[in-house]
Amino acid sequence: MLGVVGVLVVAIIILVKEIPYLKKKKLKREGWAFSILLLFAVGLGIAQSLHLNIPNPLNGLTFIFKPLSKILNEWLK
Amino acid sequence: MNNIKISARQFAIFVILFSIGSTILYISSSMSQELRQDAWIGAAIGTGLSLLLMLLYIAIGRIFPNMTLVKMNEKVFGKWIGKLVSLSFIFFSFSTAALLLSDVGNFLAIQMMPETPSEVTQILFACIVIMGIRLGLETLARSAEILFSCFIVLFIIFVVSLFPHVELKNIQPIFESGIKPLVRSSLLFMSFFSLPLVVVLMIFPASVNQPKNAEKKLFIGVLIGGTCLTILIVLTIMVLGPDLSAAQMYPSYSLARKIEVGGFLQRVEAIMAAMWFITLYFKFVLYFYAAVIGLAQTLSLNDYLPLTLPLGMILVLLSFMINPNVAFESAYDKEVWIVYALSYGLVLPFLLLTGQILRKIIQGNKNQ
Repeated sequence: MLGVVGVLVVAIIILVKEIPYLKKKKLKREGWAFSILLLFAVGLGIAQSLHLNIPNPLNGLTFIFKPLSKILNEWLK
Repeated sequence: MNNIKISARQFAIFVILFSIGSTILYISSSMSQELRQDAWIGAAIGTGLSLLLMLLYIAIGRIFPNMTLVKMNEKVFGKWIGKLVSLSFIFFSFSTAALLLSDVGNFLAIQMMPETPSEVTQILFACIVIMGIRLGLETLARSAEILFSCFIVLFIIFVVSLFPHVELKNIQPIFESGIKPLVRSSLLFMSFFSLPLVVVLMIFPASVNQPKNAEKKLFIGVLIGGTCLTILIVLTIMVLGPDLSAAQMYPSYSLARKIEVGGFLQRVEAIMAAMWFITLYFKFVLYFYAAVIGLAQTLSLNDYLPLTLPLGMILVLLSFMINPNVAFESAYDKEVWIVYALSYGLVLPFLLLTGQILRKIIQGNKNQ
């Protein structure tokens, strides 16, 4: 639970810091990108602090690149 | 956004610090696992091949002046495929940055501060990196200039004070390993040392003052970085011997423990660790910078500042989970990283080059 609170506190600090800047400069696209990324970060943080099973992106990379690396290793043996 | 320009000298320092990066911590170990006492030959060959690779990057810099890698992608592959390629490149630099951050945490937790949770050091390290990115490339370049002198002084002290421990018989017999292991290990060396330099293409033609001078500096930077690493590998093998350097996780740290001058100056490894923090910091900053600027340009945003904090938060969270244990990382380095680095460091620039040349030829035929 403490982790969830921590993630939310960090998110609020980021919001307080960035929203005046976004408003002052009237950055609309940047605002969208900012909020989507922050939402993703909060979701990831809460999922991690609740110890949910999140797939590791490196496993995906291993799946893609391992066959190629096997070919390379065979060739250089 | 791209009004910031750094000088060619600052660019060279970036290249040196980036290419030494985290490599300096564990390269002697992974190289001597492959080649035993010949590890330094593999590193020297790798440095030579890296200079050839730099020719490719320079050619790209000449064909696309004033463009970052992301914009080159969009120009060569068209708008949508280009954006997809850019996103995958951003993922490359972002995930590598996260892995680097977890390396920092692991190194500190294993070697220096075992009772501090590695999460704390990771968050603190990420904070100064985000701060650096928010202050901009120029500030980073100036701090690199200051810290570079620190790094060089520490490195020279490191090398000189280890001289008394050198035993020449440790690197004999020379040239014992065959051609294929040599090729394999120089590829391994390049995948840590020079192939990640592809992220420098986010800075190189676009944000450097004198492009002609910067081309020369790119060469010199890679040469100096490669020489430093080769010296380090020779030294590790001569002092620790091939078996011990292959078995250590951070051989240069145990090397620093050996420093002893006149019986009273000893256990200076914490000071020597400052050297690694400097290079690690700049490697990490450049990866993260490439990811942030790349994302901003892919989404055609004019201002990258609002992206830094949320991306930094994702980076820290990702670094907690991306590297579950040391065995996972060493398997990843062996099985995935070489091909992963090759596909972005060599194949992508090569495709960009040939794509642009083909385009020129087709357009030339149409005009005739």
